[in-house]
Amino acid sequence: MATPNLDALDHQLIDLLARDARVSNRKIAAELGVTEGTVRGRIKRLQQDGLIAFTAITGFEMGTRTRLAFINIQADVDRVREVARIIAEIPGINAVLIAMGQFNITAMCLIDELDRLVELASDQILAIDGVHHVETSIAVKTVKYNARMAKITRPEVIDDDD
Amino acid sequence: MTQTFTFDATDLNIVEQLRRNGRANNQQVAERLGLTATTVSTRIKRMEDANQLRVVAVSDFTAHGFNVLQRFWVEVDGRPASEVAHELADLPEVVAAHLVTGRYDIDMLVALHDFDDLSEFLFEKLSTVRGIRSMTPAIVVDIIKYKFDVAPIEGRD
Repeated sequence: MATPNLDALDHQLIDLLARDARVSNRKIAAELGVTEGTVRGRIKRLQQDGLIAFTAITGFEMGTRTRLAFINIQADVDRVREVARIIAEIPGINAVLIAMGQFNITAMCLIDELDRLVELASDQILAIDGVHHVETSIAVKTVKYNARMAKITRPEVIDDDD
Repeated sequence: MTQTFTFDATDLNIVEQLRRNGRANNQQVAERLGLTATTVSTRIKRMEDANQLRVVAVSDFTAHGFNVLQRFWVEVDGRPASEVAHELADLPEVVAAHLVTGRYDIDMLVALHDFDDLSEFLFEKLSTVRGIRSMTPAIVVDIIKYKFDVAPIEGRD
């Protein structure tokens, strides 16, 4: 993973768009003192390089039953990528990380009911060939989380008609 | 936070369009859904004002120069776990911290620029936090998927 070469303007754009992605190029250009063409070009490049992606985040109130859950998995080392990809395809799985440590895969999901977690972890994931052991843990309280920073893994659909 | 907000079918359709392209303007969203731009604008504002929607740019860890990601599972001893978690969350390197059920008390994600930063983080920062009994690290080597469309949303100033 090479550190991308971003200048101050790129970082300003990222900060601005992290607050509100719907602000027009014209407004951004005026605020940052550059041309609309520069704004358009920079945004396109950041998207193409997989450094930013635009999305809509909907809220869940912390008082509701929705909880973030972690499924920590021990899988065959020689099949870890293959297993991780299979897990990533399971509907309801939000994140899949491959790691070096006690567990070599962690899947994250949002659940409303405990049954759902058991179904995902014990019925679906544990049944995958190459998975030996799963352990679950539920986030009872999120102390810090930044939805604006993530790993961008899918190619961004770039609309030109802006 | 006891206020309840319900998304109707039109709201959900608008959200779906914005998830596909957050930069689409009201007119573009309206055309795709057979609505007027005014309706789209009103609906988005209502959802945003209720702190139930944010249309944002999500940036990659590497855009911030974070090339090393580690998870730490923390066992706490002799101090409330929530206190320890809040203190850890104050460290800029800690990008996520959750109090969790199970074998460990805190699950946190740590982002560093490179491995050279690890010793400073361990010896000068983590070692000053009281109540940490043990730490089990895992080095994140690859992220296959990382997509959260739902998250706690903070109010706007």
